[in-house]
Amino acid sequence: MNEMMLLLLCGLLAAVFLLAEVRQHNHAHEGTHHRHKIGHKHGEGFVIDMHAYASKISHWNPTFKVILAIVTLVLCIALNNPCVSLAVLIAMAYLTMVKGGLSVSEYLSVMMIPIVFILLGTLAIAIEFSYQPIGQYNLHCGFFYVYTSQDKLKEMIFLILKVFAAVSALQMMTLSTPSSEIISVMRKAHVPTLIIELMNIIYRYIFILLDVYSKMKNSADSRQGYCDFRTSCYTFGGVAGNMLIVSLKKANVYYDAMESRCYDGEMVFLEEEKKVAAGQIIAAAIFVVLLLMLWWFTK
Amino acid sequence: MKQPILSVRDLHYVYGNGQAGLDGVNIDINEGEKIAVIGSNGAGKSTFFLNVNGVLKAERGEIIYRGTTITRKNLKELRKNIGIVFQDADNQIIASTVRAEVGFGPMNLKLPKEEVIKRVDEALTYMNILDFKDRPPHYLSGGEKKKVSIADIIAMKSEIIIFDEPTVALDPLNAEMLEEVLEKLSREEKTMLISTHDVDFAYRWAERIIVFCQGKIIADGSPLEIFQNEEVLKQSNLKQPMLLNVYESLVQKQLVADEKTYPRSIEEFQKMIQAIS
Repeated sequence: MNEMMLLLLCGLLAAVFLLAEVRQHNHAHEGTHHRHKIGHKHGEGFVIDMHAYASKISHWNPTFKVILAIVTLVLCIALNNPCVSLAVLIAMAYLTMVKGGLSVSEYLSVMMIPIVFILLGTLAIAIEFSYQPIGQYNLHCGFFYVYTSQDKLKEMIFLILKVFAAVSALQMMTLSTPSSEIISVMRKAHVPTLIIELMNIIYRYIFILLDVYSKMKNSADSRQGYCDFRTSCYTFGGVAGNMLIVSLKKANVYYDAMESRCYDGEMVFLEEEKKVAAGQIIAAAIFVVLLLMLWWFTK
Repeated sequence: MKQPILSVRDLHYVYGNGQAGLDGVNIDINEGEKIAVIGSNGAGKSTFFLNVNGVLKAERGEIIYRGTTITRKNLKELRKNIGIVFQDADNQIIASTVRAEVGFGPMNLKLPKEEVIKRVDEALTYMNILDFKDRPPHYLSGGEKKKVSIADIIAMKSEIIIFDEPTVALDPLNAEMLEEVLEKLSREEKTMLISTHDVDFAYRWAERIIVFCQGKIIADGSPLEIFQNEEVLKQSNLKQPMLLNVYESLVQKQLVADEKTYPRSIEEFQKMIQAIS
């Protein structure tokens, strides 16, 4: 049994590393052909941003998608049932990949982002330590034992399943709805205007700041600004300070530009009305009922 | 005499650091004019534009739009009717989709939603970028962003459009596109002011040239008058347009009869050469 445990652990670790590797590879690959200027070094967020615009279900009504995702998420957690989790996982994967047209490898790479956190979190539930060889399975590690039981492992796997199902519901939303639309849904939900305006501006500004940062970094790099650790630290400080000044200046210019277009203290953007099809609502209702039935029969 | 669409009287503007930005500017702008505003960096062109638009508040002087003096109360009227296309599109684009961006101005004018949608579609069609509607601005190229920033102003249906150094940072193809748009706008009798460092462009395009130097207007006249005035050119560190230079050299060497034809574009020049050979 001990060897078995060790093998399992090794396998899991290897999978994590492999997936992380695949993910990195995917990104390096993506960077070469999509249009963003700083493609080779952008983080996970921008990949998701790209996917959201490219998704085939991005024309669906955003409110519908957000509500569907949240209802699914709540059901998934509240019902606490592995069958429901599995059903959600499958349904959301179907929506994102088949309906949304995202490729399998990209979907997996996005889904694997939280895997390290999930594994570390759930391992703590399944594994316990002791000085005596107790428990259903145990592993001798020098002067102490790591032990677990079938029940504990089952609990861990169900928990992983639940977390992944919940994550997949939210990913369905983020991978098919551009941020601006999610913000507009929040506006409809009467989130305070201040927060909505901040979100809009921050979302727009992230890309501008990144652009400015990459330009400054490149120009510092071309002048040997990152030749050794000491210089790198110094340059980083310089770039950061400069960024602050540039942001202040840009904020001024932005304000002028907004004022010249009659901005008077209230930021309202034109949003597209996306109709929600009756079929979509019916399908979503059936899905929710099915989840509840599944829970009822496997309780 | 026709009443000018916009008059500026004795405009003074002082920067926060006490430096004079504008130092007594007087000008009348008539409807439908194509004006190039030239002058070296820091001569006050951009400051003048922002003042005329009511974004910067002048120390002294008045702005008269269609016979009404602009005060704090009717400032919005001024902004509604004068649109600025900023030099750097990234300093202008505020929304996270092209649709929302172009709709920003009309929304601020508090127009009904149907009207806003109509104007956005019109402006995007005008600039030939209707299929960008749902794209976020951060995935657009420089030329595409410029088009969006022009559509922004077209959607507001301003009577006067100001372009602040529009050809900067555009590749030749996009610069050509820009000139086509300017052509299209001038056919619609829009009043346009363009600040530029490109004297060849100014000579070719403008009907009237205003030269700024140290916060003052030092010359105001037809392109020919301005570019033949060596005093003005020297004071504002400008060169003569290539074509004017070539033409004058040809006249001087008596290769071309001195008929004062002054070709303004390459096409006109070629036609002139054809006629004499």
